[in-house]
Amino acid sequence: MTLKINHISKALGTLSLYRDFTIAFDHGRITCILGPSGCGKTTLLHIIGGIVLPDSGTLDGFAGKRISYIFQDPRLLPWKTARENIEFVLPHDLPPTERKQLADHFIDLVELRDFEGYYPARLSGGMRQRVAIARAFAFPSDIILMDEPLKGLDVKLKLNLIRTFSRIWESDRRTVIFVTHDVEESLLLSNEIIVMSRPPVHIADRRKVEIPVLDRSLESPTLMVMKSELIRVLGV
Amino acid sequence: MKISFTGKRAWGVASVVFIVAVWKLLSLLLGSEFVLPSPEKTLVTTLDLFGEKDFLAVVSSTIARGLAGFALSMVLGIGLGVAAGTDSRFNAFLQPILVTIRSIPVIALILLALIWFSPGSVPVFIAILTMFPFICINVIDGIKSVDPDLKEMAAFYRVSRARIIRELYIPGIMPFIISGASSAMGIGWRAIITGEVLSQPRYGIGTLMQGAQTFLNVDAVIAWTILAVAISFLFEKLIRMAEHRLIAWKR
Repeated sequence: MTLKINHISKALGTLSLYRDFTIAFDHGRITCILGPSGCGKTTLLHIIGGIVLPDSGTLDGFAGKRISYIFQDPRLLPWKTARENIEFVLPHDLPPTERKQLADHFIDLVELRDFEGYYPARLSGGMRQRVAIARAFAFPSDIILMDEPLKGLDVKLKLNLIRTFSRIWESDRRTVIFVTHDVEESLLLSNEIIVMSRPPVHIADRRKVEIPVLDRSLESPTLMVMKSELIRVLGV
Repeated sequence: MKISFTGKRAWGVASVVFIVAVWKLLSLLLGSEFVLPSPEKTLVTTLDLFGEKDFLAVVSSTIARGLAGFALSMVLGIGLGVAAGTDSRFNAFLQPILVTIRSIPVIALILLALIWFSPGSVPVFIAILTMFPFICINVIDGIKSVDPDLKEMAAFYRVSRARIIRELYIPGIMPFIISGASSAMGIGWRAIITGEVLSQPRYGIGTLMQGAQTFLNVDAVIAWTILAVAISFLFEKLIRMAEHRLIAWKR
């Protein structure tokens, strides 16, 4: 079974973002939506998350699915500690011991055990984004949506977060849909890259990246070739 | 850290010493214990107040009025503030009312209150009308300042409305409530005592101030004033202590 968006149309004001647009996502894989800025990638995530309704068209396989999010900025509550921020989103029907266990587990995975009692103001930018990653995984979701989660971070931090994310994902393979305009990020993090055109959006290209995420290097010949091809398709 | 703390404290003490020194100088220049009593004589008068008959009833009545006015202002201010902060139509309705209340001279309110209320409740009424707009306006500003990205995050994760209010809105506006409460308390005590001076309830600092003024006991007027300042100072401290506990996350 796949997750599918069938023949959707969506306009924002006079701009027609999507016209009869169809796209499918594999379960248990990381799919990257790569497209130029302003092509409606975030709107697509909002439609998938059920926050925005398409003007027409249907969504298949999303009913009853729980979704978690990683945003461009960590979006942590400043008055809650790292641990409390993770527990804040956990569903209310979970018993307290289970909430605690879930938080514990993912705090360990993002290596913030020593910082779980810190307020966000006292954490570094990278640590805050790791709390956001832990929060997304701790939430018992089927799908994780990410909206440019690495934008504005320096290269070292990006690689570090990609590694953290991939390590957790290897042991907990949820469906990830990840939006970016950055070719290198898409190459480093995804199993499949879908390139979007400018609006009205159509799929300009579709690539699978078969190398295990933790073994990838942007200097490897395969990724270098793919990178130049993706840049050409994007037309930037 | 410790050094700068003691340093600041030293400057605070210096400020008090300066005020007393100017006072002493003026009293020497005027040369009349009748017009401006010396600080030391006033200090004795202040200490004598504690031994006065009904002292506790007087001070506790004033404090009780202040606290009643403050509590009602908090309820009214937070309630209306949350409503106006979350509903722009109600905000548009409330704004002219708040502006009107804030522009009315306090003395006009007192004159009307004297006709409408019993002497004991006039100061409370005045205090509410001077305090609650401060709290209300701060709460409205606070709600507007709650980060829309955080609201969106909570909505995406399907966090319940009750938790959003309790764990997102309330802590988010807490610094605004506290600063509103602090400015409200500051003007509130003054309003209470002004109200007491004019309404003459049976017990009240303002009542005795007015009495002392009538008999030209300047030292007693100043002594009661010192006591009023001390009460105001004490409650400001209490608010700062509450602030320290409630918004520990800022440090």
